[in-house]
Amino acid sequence: MKRSVFGLEFIAGVLGIVVAAAVVGSTLGSATLVRTAIEKARAESAANGNQPQLSLIAAHGQKLYAVNCSHCHADDATGDEGPDLHGLTKSDERIKVIITNGIKGEMPAFGKKLQEADKEALVGFLRSLR
Amino acid sequence: MELFLGANIWEMMHGGSTHLPIALMLMSAVFDALGGVTRSDRVKDRFHAAGLFTLIAGTLGAFPAVLSGLILARWEIGGTGALFWHHVFLWPAFASLIALSVWRLIVRGRRSRTGFLIYLLAAFAAAFLVSAAGFWGGEVLLGGS
Repeated sequence: MKRSVFGLEFIAGVLGIVVAAAVVGSTLGSATLVRTAIEKARAESAANGNQPQLSLIAAHGQKLYAVNCSHCHADDATGDEGPDLHGLTKSDERIKVIITNGIKGEMPAFGKKLQEADKEALVGFLRSLR
Repeated sequence: MELFLGANIWEMMHGGSTHLPIALMLMSAVFDALGGVTRSDRVKDRFHAAGLFTLIAGTLGAFPAVLSGLILARWEIGGTGALFWHHVFLWPAFASLIALSVWRLIVRGRRSRTGFLIYLLAAFAAAFLVSAAGFWGGEVLLGGS
């Protein structure tokens, strides 16, 4: 009886590992496929000379970016003295806090220079970067 | 399309859904451990039942958390910096939750003492992995640099 229980536990363990590997493997595979497809579509769009249209807010943010940020983050925001700003994973609020307070020893604070609407426009522009 | 690429809604969904598997996996391991040390059979069964249901709920809750996280990270499964470490812990944690759920659902009450001890160790390891993934996820969204 004890032997059969152990056999059941062993089979359940193997099945668990197989199911987990299948689910996680297919999740990782699907995500890679989607990411590859998106990057391919963007590359094709860029090769055709299509520039993504910016919303009014993001367009305002682009102007603010050129004046305040491009010096360190590069004109195309791919990073220079400061980091690449494409695909930021921080929350909008967090980005606004960093713009407002800066990062000690790394980035100046823009809290006094930029209004709340300006910071939102900058975030809108940064979110448009693909 | 913007809904699927804009960070806001997925950020909220990920932030909201991700705490469920973390809390439930931790409590599942604790319930089962308490069930293991309790003398009364009735209380023992109740602790193990609570451990099973919190594990299943946590595993089911992991699916929306993973999906919203993938969309938020623009389908990045690796990444760099804090996002990389988030994924280092996340994928084994996700796999562990599924494997433990399958094991529990098949074995149910027909477990040996050794088998249960191995399960309990794996459950605490999964709880650690889920918590570590949560910590690094917090660093991704709220970290200073």
